[in-house]
Amino acid sequence: MSDTRKIVKDGLWSNNPIFVQVLGICSTLAVTNNMKNTLIMALGVTFATAMGSVTLSAMKDLIPRKVRMIVQVLVLSFYVIIIDIILRAYMPAASKQLGPYVGLIITNCILMGRAEAFAAANKPWPSFVDGIANGLGYGAVLLCISVIREFFGFGSLMGVKLVGDAFTPWTIMVMAPSAFFLVALALWGANTYNAKAAAKKKGAK
Amino acid sequence: MKFKKDSIGYTIVFTFIVCMLFVVILAAANQLTLPMAEANKSFAAHLAVLKAFGLADASMSRTEVESLYSTKVRELDNAPGDIKGVTAAYAADIDGSAFVAVKVTGAGLWGSITAILATDPAASRIRGLEILDQQETPGLGGRIGEDWFQAQFKGEKVGPGGTVKVDQNGTGKGDPDKENGRVDAVTGASRTSDFVARIVADGLSATAKIGGSL
Repeated sequence: MSDTRKIVKDGLWSNNPIFVQVLGICSTLAVTNNMKNTLIMALGVTFATAMGSVTLSAMKDLIPRKVRMIVQVLVLSFYVIIIDIILRAYMPAASKQLGPYVGLIITNCILMGRAEAFAAANKPWPSFVDGIANGLGYGAVLLCISVIREFFGFGSLMGVKLVGDAFTPWTIMVMAPSAFFLVALALWGANTYNAKAAAKKKGAK
Repeated sequence: MKFKKDSIGYTIVFTFIVCMLFVVILAAANQLTLPMAEANKSFAAHLAVLKAFGLADASMSRTEVESLYSTKVRELDNAPGDIKGVTAAYAADIDGSAFVAVKVTGAGLWGSITAILATDPAASRIRGLEILDQQETPGLGGRIGEDWFQAQFKGEKVGPGGTVKVDQNGTGKGDPDKENGRVDAVTGASRTSDFVARIVADGLSATAKIGGSL
């Protein structure tokens, strides 16, 4: 397997930011009650992680160790604010709906996590791929959760109503606790599967 | 020459340059997109005012909305500063009768709620209510932004005491009676419904005052 393919696979599955690294859980709770917000959030995180990782990786030889983290925060918040500016100018409806969540991308641990764990020790291109892969891995899990939450909480998907008026929305699904349950269940499922796969591999040897 | 990356001088200079560089780019990007962001904001406000007056709906194009706004709506500069939360006032003549509207802001559950409230000059009947900005709980209080909730206020007669009751004992599906001075609250969002009732009451006292001096 080539390096790039391994990085992609790590980000999407074997080192998935939510399942394995357990990063970015806070935003999972906040934005997954409707798919549209989730999608924009996932794209935002992917963009910020990838661009931040490239930039930091390109300038890593120049950064003094003492201020390493400050510079990481600076660069990452730079891209987050860029996203906010773009949304405000070109997608006012989405910007209004996401409100403070865009700014909160910076508090998403995936950004700092990847900058520190990967970009600080790798060349720009692999760092970029790593950022994209992690963003997508994060986004995929979030989207699955938001499908469940939006369907049961609002009876719709992507804002399109799917069930009749007789359906009683599950209020719990739009509140944060449901995200806790769903993330925990997903984590449990993914880790059980991985453990089984690992055991099988061992047994086959 | 290999510079000392961890020397204090280099650290300070490096940090300074990096900060300056990124901040300058951000400031430039912000300045460049500022007119668009402002235009989006004022468009949202204009559309809400027109919708509150019952002159427009969401299907209209941006140019239609802006031209309708500039021909139909008068922005009043004597917004009563002494009425809490009222930041702008508007007037419009529709089919020969005058209507007034205010932009009124009040506390919500998580953040503030801003609404446009249009009434007749005596503030005896609501013309329309548009929630312009709110951060209530999505799916619960956030439903005050939905059409069924706002449509209840359209043409609603103002009840005794100059208020409209946001009633928590209703069906939660919308009250079609326009003469009883009450609307259904959002089920599961009693606090948000109370806040909306208070904002409407504030707005009504403001439009009565403006309408009286029109």
